[in-house]
Amino acid sequence: MLQNVDIDIHHLTRVEGHGNIVVNVTDGTIETCEWQVPENPRFFEAMVRGRHYSEVARITSRICGICAVGHTLASVTATETALGIEVTPQTRKLRTILKHAENFDSHVLHVYVLVAPDLFGAQSVFPLIPTHGEVVVRALRLKRLGHEWGSLIGGRTTHPVTVVPGGFTSLPSAADLAALRERLLGAVPDLEATVETILSVADKLPAFDRPTEYMAVHEDGQYGLFTGSVETILANGDRARYDIEDYLSITNEFMLPQSTAKHTRNRLRSYAAGALARFNVNYDQLHPEAKKVAEALGLAPICTNPYMNSVAQVVECVHAVYESIRLIDELLEDGLKDEGLVQPTRFGSGISAVEVPRGILYHDYSYDENGLCTRANCIIPTNQNHGNIQADFEDLVPQLLESGASEEDMALKLSMLVRAYDPCISCSTHYLDVTFVR
Amino acid sequence: MRYLIGIGTYMGLDDSIGLRIAEEVAARGLDRGFRAIELPGNLLDLLHYFGPDTADMLVVDSARMGLAPGEYRFFSPDDVVTRKSLEGISTHEGDLMKVFELARELSVTVPPVTLMGIEPATIVPEMGLSRALEERFGEYLAAAAGFFGAERAR
Repeated sequence: MLQNVDIDIHHLTRVEGHGNIVVNVTDGTIETCEWQVPENPRFFEAMVRGRHYSEVARITSRICGICAVGHTLASVTATETALGIEVTPQTRKLRTILKHAENFDSHVLHVYVLVAPDLFGAQSVFPLIPTHGEVVVRALRLKRLGHEWGSLIGGRTTHPVTVVPGGFTSLPSAADLAALRERLLGAVPDLEATVETILSVADKLPAFDRPTEYMAVHEDGQYGLFTGSVETILANGDRARYDIEDYLSITNEFMLPQSTAKHTRNRLRSYAAGALARFNVNYDQLHPEAKKVAEALGLAPICTNPYMNSVAQVVECVHAVYESIRLIDELLEDGLKDEGLVQPTRFGSGISAVEVPRGILYHDYSYDENGLCTRANCIIPTNQNHGNIQADFEDLVPQLLESGASEEDMALKLSMLVRAYDPCISCSTHYLDVTFVR
Repeated sequence: MRYLIGIGTYMGLDDSIGLRIAEEVAARGLDRGFRAIELPGNLLDLLHYFGPDTADMLVVDSARMGLAPGEYRFFSPDDVVTRKSLEGISTHEGDLMKVFELARELSVTVPPVTLMGIEPATIVPEMGLSRALEERFGEYLAAAAGFFGAERAR
C-alpha cells in the first residue's frame, strides 16, 4: 500500500469545463481527497429578468452549446406552465423526438470521444485512428445522425429556433420525418457494433460499487424526459415520488469551501442524476430493444457502479432510436397538422424538470401581467452530481490504496470516475491561437 | 452548399465573436446563397459540414494572431500553425486545427475552407463583447457576408 500520494490534476481533460482532482496521502493517512470545481457562476437568471416570455428560451439556450435543446425545452415548458399553456399531443411528440436527438448526440460524443480513449488506453481519439479507425468513423457517423436528427425538428441542433412557448414555429414535412425514420433504422447496425465495441473493453471499466440515491424524471407510461414527476430510488429499491413544483426541497442546494459550484442532496448526503439514475428509476419504461442491449452489456437495475453511467448512455441511445421511430410512426399515421401556437391564458409562475444528457435540469420563472420575467432560477444536473462524485472519491481512494494501486493508476481511476458522470461544468474557450507561416 | 460557420462560446466575451456574426447574419437575412451556422460547444460538429456536397466554407472565430485588438484577417488553415498544446481533442477546450487534422487522418473530404480570424481584446468568462470588437461589429458582418458575394463574383 502506498504511504504517500500526491495527485493534483488541474483542469481534468476530456470533460466539459474545468474541474480539479486533488488527493494527498501522507504516511498512509488521507489528508486531502477532493473534487474541486473552480468555475465562475454565470448569472443567466439575472439576464432573463425583464425580458418578454417569447425571448427567455432564446437566452437560456445559450447556457450550453451541448444541452441547448434541453435548456430550450426546460425554459419553454416552465414558461408554458407559468402562462397556462397546454400544448398539443403533436407538439409533445415532436419535442420528445427532439429530446431523444440531443441525448443521443451527446451520449455518442461522450462514450466515443471522451470515455473510449481511457478504455483503449489512449490520450484522445487521435491515437485510435490507425488502430481503431472504423470505431472513430462509426462514432462520427452516429454523431452526424444525432446532429441532423435534432436539426430537422429544432431548425438546428444548437440553439433550436422552432421550439417556442405554445408549440412550433415550423414543422418538418411528412417526407422529412419518413426519411429520418429510415435513417434511424439504418443506424441499428452501428448501434449493434457499438455494443460489441463496449463489450470488447468492458473489463477496463473499474468494478466499484457505492450505493447512493438515484434521481430522475418519471412517467408511468413512458421513459421520463420532461413531463411527469421526479422519482428517486435507493439501492434497496425504496422509491420516493415528488412533484416537480417541490424541486427546491428535493435539491436542497448548498455550498462547500472546495467548490464555486453549488452542491445538492435529498434523502442521503448526495444523489446521482444522469443516464444511470434514469436507468435505475425508469427501467420498466425502457424500450424492449434497449432492455436487450442492457442485458447484453451486463447492466441491470439497480446498478450502483458509477462507471456504468457510460454503458447506460449506450442503452439510452438504443431507446432513443426505437422510441423516435415509434413516435414518427404515430405522427405519420395521424398526419402532421399546422396547429398554430397555443396562446397564454394567464401570467404567473411555472417550473419544469427536463432530462438532459447529464441529468435533471430545472427551470423556474415568474412573469408579470405584461409577460415580462420577474424571477428565474435554473439548477443544472452537473451541480447535482458534484456531491456524489466527492462521496465516490471518499470511498474509492481508500479502496485503491488498500489494493496497492500505483499513484498513476489511482489518478487514472479517479479521472475515469469524473468522466463517467459526463460533467458539463461550464463552457471553456475555443479561440484560435496561431502563427502565420506564409 | 456554402457555409458560414461561427464558432466560439457566448461565455468567453470576445471568444463569442464568431457565434455572434453567424447569428446576426442569419437574423438580418444576409445569408443569401449560403447558410450561416453557429457551432458553440463542440467543434467536432464542424465535421458534419465537411463532404463532397460542400462547395466552400468560411469559418469565423476569434484568433490570437498578434494583430491589434479588433483587427481581422482572412486566411487559409494552411497559412498558419497552432500555438495551442492540447493532449487531444475535447468538446470544449478545442482547437479548430485539430478538427482539420482529424478530418485529414480519417480521409474526410475537406472542402475549401477560409478562416476569418478576429483579434480579441479580452477573453474572460463573461457575456458580451469588448468595446473594441463591438464598435467594429457592422464591419465584420459586411466582411463575412461580403466574402460570399466576392467569391460568387469570381
